[in-house]
Amino acid sequence: MLTLPLALIAELTHRCPLHCVYCSNPLQLRAYSEELPTEAWTQTLEQAANLGMFHVHFTGGEPLARSDLVALVSVAHSLHLYTNLITSGIGLNEKKLAALVEAGLDHLQLSFQDAEESFADRIAGAAVHARKLALAQLIHECRELAFTVNLVVHRYNLDRLESIIALAESLNPQRIEIANVQYYGWALKNREWLLPTREQIQQSVAIVERAQERLNGQIKIDFVTPDYYATFPKPCMGGWGRQLMLVDPSGKVLPCHAAAVIPGMDFENVKEKPLRWIWEESSAFRRFRGEDWMPEPCRSCDRRALDFGGCRCQAFLITGDASTTDPVCSLAPAHRLIEERLLHANSIAGSESHPAPLPQSPRSWTYRPQPS
Amino acid sequence: MASSRSFSAGSTLKTLNSSSQPRLVVGCRVREAESGLATLLVPEGVLQLKGTAIDILRLCDGQRTLGEILQEMRARYQSADPKHMEQEIETFLSRLQQRRVIDF
Repeated sequence: MLTLPLALIAELTHRCPLHCVYCSNPLQLRAYSEELPTEAWTQTLEQAANLGMFHVHFTGGEPLARSDLVALVSVAHSLHLYTNLITSGIGLNEKKLAALVEAGLDHLQLSFQDAEESFADRIAGAAVHARKLALAQLIHECRELAFTVNLVVHRYNLDRLESIIALAESLNPQRIEIANVQYYGWALKNREWLLPTREQIQQSVAIVERAQERLNGQIKIDFVTPDYYATFPKPCMGGWGRQLMLVDPSGKVLPCHAAAVIPGMDFENVKEKPLRWIWEESSAFRRFRGEDWMPEPCRSCDRRALDFGGCRCQAFLITGDASTTDPVCSLAPAHRLIEERLLHANSIAGSESHPAPLPQSPRSWTYRPQPS
Repeated sequence: MASSRSFSAGSTLKTLNSSSQPRLVVGCRVREAESGLATLLVPEGVLQLKGTAIDILRLCDGQRTLGEILQEMRARYQSADPKHMEQEIETFLSRLQQRRVIDF
């Protein structure tokens, strides 16, 4: 039986003052002129609530770049949706924070790029770290809001993981999310620079476990491991069209952040079709739902109900075929493509005569640009 | 009354006792549907509440002590083995404490 979606990811805009080299936004950014008006978002939120969704995650780009964010939080709250703001903090100040809380914001997730300002600002492609520290203090002082500190980790900051956790801890959140880069969008463009070594992963797992033990009951630490090093794939989005719906800035409805890259798909738009129809009937949401689409070895695998064959977008991005087993799976026919990347990452980092170069200039990194 | 779990020396986890006054932390709340089904909403997702879990969480108002909560639950579920029920409730609350869902 088809279950109903649990949460709406509302990608309000692709505009962002940061240019992070691992941004998960698609390479084809939506322009400001394409963005849905407030009224269309309001209707979308109403439809999400009617579908029985619990959470709405306001994200972007930088959702604070939308001048109607407070109004949209207020609408979502009045519909009894749990409201989550995923933000870089840029655009936030004391007055805006108070307005968001007043509108019914439940939870705010603030991203940091590193524990050290120079590295953080280089990754973000903008001088924002100091501003974020000041905002974290404001958020902590606001006792009516749940607070998560998010840090994306990769080859160039994993060696500082202990100081990164110490920084996050000093900001007094309820929750810390340490998330390894996932290789989609801009991160895939910079994969060669970002992919960590096996040794870094092993050390980081031990560091996180010690911190989890030490902070047990005070701060919850969630750790997202890099799937390239996993034996089995992640259950991406809890399964295609199984738990989540993402609406992009133009109103296009996707099962995840990256699905727009898959060719031959017909993604519907909230301007033309109701969310319920899109969930239940649209060809895009049905395409990889359930098990009928699965090839071997997934089709007969005991784990198929646990990981749903992994990620369709990753299958496409690595192999060119979205309907094959996620290549990060050790059982996948295309797994050698992942192993080759890992071999490369570990050899360039591990050799003394070829130390991993830390890209200093924007010529080495591909920064995520501003949409038009 | 001791917590049902012990922790290594490095942990500074507060221990539940009968005078603790548990409450849901900010950002965690119970949503009750018209159908009567209740769901615990937390920042990163939802937890479907089963059996007596919802009754217990309703009593975690930051006012009642754990002792009073246990007393109330014993009165409501008189056919249950009280010792067993106490243990279950303490385990449940300790688990939620570790997940940063309740504090006291």
